[in-house]
Amino acid sequence: MAFAIPTISYTGKIKEVVLGKGPKAVTIGGETSYPFHFFEGDAPHAPRIAIEVYDAAPDDWADAALEPYKDVLNDPVAWAKKAVETYGAELIALQLVSTDPNGLNRSAEEAAATAKKVASAVDVPVLVWGSGSADKDAEVLRKVTEVCDGMNLVIGPIVEGNYKQVGAGAIAYKHTVAACSPIDINLAKQLNILLGNLGVPDGQLIVDPTTGGLGYGIEYTYSVMERDRMAALTQQDERLQFPLICNMAKEVWKTKEAKLKTEDAPTFGDAKKRGILMESVTAVTLLLAGADVLVMRHPEAIKLVREMIGDFKTK
Amino acid sequence: MVTHKVTFHPSERSIRVDQGENLLQAAMEAGIHINASCGGSATCGKCKVRLLSGKVDSPPHQKLSEEEYRSGYRLACLTSVTDDIGVDVPLESQVDRSVLALKGDRGSARYLLSPKDIFQLVRGWDVDPTVFKRYLELDPPTLQDNKSDLTRLINGLAKRHGIEGVSADFRAIMKLSRVLRDSDWKVTVTLVLTKRGYKLINVEPGDNTRQNYSIVIDLGTTTVFGQLLDLNQCTVVGCPDGQCDGTTLFALAEASDYNAQISYGEDVITRIVYSQKPGGLKKLQEVVVGTINGIIEELLTMSGVDRSLISHFVVAGNTTMTQLFLGLDPKYIRETPYVPTAHFVPPVRAVHLGINIGDHVHVYIFPMVASYVGGDIVAGILGSGIFQREALTLYMDIGTNGEIVLGNKDWLASVSCSAGPAFEGAGIKFGMRATRGAIEEVGINPHTYEPMILTIGRAKPLGICGSGLIDAVSALLETKMIDQNGKFHRDIPTERLRNGADGYEYVLAWKEETRLQEDIAINEIDIENLMRTKAAIYAGCKVLLDSVGLGFKDLEQVIIAGGFGRHLDVEKAIFIGLLPEIDINNFIFVGNGSLLGARLLSFSKDLLKETERISLMMTNLELSNHNGFMNEFIGAMFFPHTDATAFPGVMKRLQQPGREESSLKSAGVVS
Repeated sequence: MAFAIPTISYTGKIKEVVLGKGPKAVTIGGETSYPFHFFEGDAPHAPRIAIEVYDAAPDDWADAALEPYKDVLNDPVAWAKKAVETYGAELIALQLVSTDPNGLNRSAEEAAATAKKVASAVDVPVLVWGSGSADKDAEVLRKVTEVCDGMNLVIGPIVEGNYKQVGAGAIAYKHTVAACSPIDINLAKQLNILLGNLGVPDGQLIVDPTTGGLGYGIEYTYSVMERDRMAALTQQDERLQFPLICNMAKEVWKTKEAKLKTEDAPTFGDAKKRGILMESVTAVTLLLAGADVLVMRHPEAIKLVREMIGDFKTK
Repeated sequence: MVTHKVTFHPSERSIRVDQGENLLQAAMEAGIHINASCGGSATCGKCKVRLLSGKVDSPPHQKLSEEEYRSGYRLACLTSVTDDIGVDVPLESQVDRSVLALKGDRGSARYLLSPKDIFQLVRGWDVDPTVFKRYLELDPPTLQDNKSDLTRLINGLAKRHGIEGVSADFRAIMKLSRVLRDSDWKVTVTLVLTKRGYKLINVEPGDNTRQNYSIVIDLGTTTVFGQLLDLNQCTVVGCPDGQCDGTTLFALAEASDYNAQISYGEDVITRIVYSQKPGGLKKLQEVVVGTINGIIEELLTMSGVDRSLISHFVVAGNTTMTQLFLGLDPKYIRETPYVPTAHFVPPVRAVHLGINIGDHVHVYIFPMVASYVGGDIVAGILGSGIFQREALTLYMDIGTNGEIVLGNKDWLASVSCSAGPAFEGAGIKFGMRATRGAIEEVGINPHTYEPMILTIGRAKPLGICGSGLIDAVSALLETKMIDQNGKFHRDIPTERLRNGADGYEYVLAWKEETRLQEDIAINEIDIENLMRTKAAIYAGCKVLLDSVGLGFKDLEQVIIAGGFGRHLDVEKAIFIGLLPEIDINNFIFVGNGSLLGARLLSFSKDLLKETERISLMMTNLELSNHNGFMNEFIGAMFFPHTDATAFPGVMKRLQQPGREESSLKSAGVVS
């Protein structure tokens, strides 16, 4: 008898979510099997990569990460355009780091104006990401939803502490929300249920499971994402059938392995190559765990990962 | 007992109740909302209903005008049902039918469970107390018959009562000669069966055999309960003037108090830590004995029984509480590999522990299984009769430590999880034990958000006990005042929802309606504490079932023990996810499980052997290093549960079109 590869029978499907508007709008999700298990099911939409844009010049980036964007660091609009035009970004992830109450503490109005400018300057979908302070984000992201009425941005991170304020804004002004929970499948599902109870339509919800960088707890993220997909696809867990986004660049690039200069750590090898590989390996790991959208930083890492996605698809 | 049918209009729902049942209580049980915010103490005047047919016993009241009374209006809380009746619920209390339809017909199933009778659960035992009294009339010694007093007594026991092999306790010998002569050789002796035969522990003048009492104590981390038993009658001693009609409490000699050790830590771990401080163990031993002595005092006062007539004392507690009570260092209970000092502790003389009771009395201690599965759970298993039955049974003792046992007559497996004291009223702002004035049942009108509350003893409210808390959270969830994470929606159009000193809260009773100087409210922190407790219990059950390859659907019976109050509304406990969603007829509520077992042990010495067998056959599963428990716990930290498929009926009720739109309005984005 010929050997037959055991296959898994799936009963669920990841919901499709459209990001952005117009001809460059992107659809994600729709998987009916585990990541890249093309022999078992379908994945109509390949994973996408969003390129990071900061709303204020970063002061702690590694040289390798700064180099490609050195001429646009102080201008988020120009930065976004360069990401699209030079590096072929399919999505932009605008990080509103300047709103951090422990940093520049810029106002919600200012941040929302920046978001609108960036989103109007590019034709690809834009993800707008707050500083991670739940209270400040409630104010900032709420304002962004309002000022960018109807642009179908992705708004994140939405957490249990601010889901009502931001979620209500996303419903009213038609944006997609990224629900963020601290590396726990139950908490992820609870937030999805709460957003559903609030009235966020399924087609406007994606999940950020919280990501660690390579060597910094990525195995936890991997395992939670893996369980998320198992529950969604094989256990009909309807409130987990949402696409996954991993806001990974800032996690990778804050590690010492990605940041240390060559001369400060000669045994670590070339700093640029090291950072790019750290980012690439993190990205591929998360793709294998089931990520639908990756937020990335270095153009060369992005190129490598894109090629790999292409390779996976053709086999 | 005569029963009557009560029909509520306009919803046409009906329920059968016993003769003399209170109408407000009947409505609560039928799931009919009638505004009532004074707990049924006839002060708020809101529970007005109009009698359409039949006769009732209900006096006029200042809140009813003469005209109203003439046209049939009555206060439901003052009304006793003595006939088949129809009543009209006034508009301000009505709930529309679509809401009622979802609740199912509460008239046809037993949702509200009261503690079961002791004799129903355990079979095949004889009334034969370990400690018993016998009356003897002896011939005085003469020069010809000059045996010693003790030999005379022992011979007399053999001759008159056929009791052989009696040894004597030295303390009994000390007073023997005097008592015999003072009583003209007519005495009552107290004997106890020990492993080495009968032991004579007391001699009293005259015939005292009719008065043989025992005290049983449930030694909880948060609450200590005690009961006074009549060993001849096999009952809990009744109080003079006590009645059991729902309004008069203290029908039986029962008393409870918070364990005074609480001041040294709320849970067993902090108590163990405290015991390691210099003098800590001694202090903890003294204060808990103080609590027990207070309870003994109360039991004796309320029953009028004399202290000297108590001849038996049984204690069931968790392992840590038992060790602290005995003054045994509990240090190794919390250090791996978590072992207690002893599984079996022989009877200890009560006076040696500082207990204020006759010096002949010995304390019987329920054997312990493991560091976190104590004598209280062994007592519960004994009392609930699981060890005799074929049916697969889950026993849940919901206390500060949630203790759960699964099995039947052939095998028993247990887990213990730290659940918190929420159901005993601790850690809840207006929480209290289930005593007079505690809000024990709650309903909320989904349109007006007005509450319907009933208190124990129908007194003005003083606080809320476990059963009231379950009802309140269930009602808040069903009326969509809180979301599934237990947080209030902040735009509910009622002044009862407000931002108080401890965050958002719902006012159950305004201060004028209470016996306090402030409003009684339930806040988000209370709800979170309750959520933790219910999550730990549910997760513990789930892990225990998983570990033996079973699920909730396999259970033939679920026995619930705990200090919630006088009843447990199973439907509401399921609604919040404390209990699994299985057939409501499979649940039994036994009230205080360890007292149930302790009573049996007092009544029958045969059960002493069963108790030992139970403690030996129980296999304990340690949750502290269990991988799946934390995951199950977080999953259960949601109302009713993160896994909606485990609660299909509850989810159906929750998914009724609700107030999503208004929550958007509150965020100011939809006009």
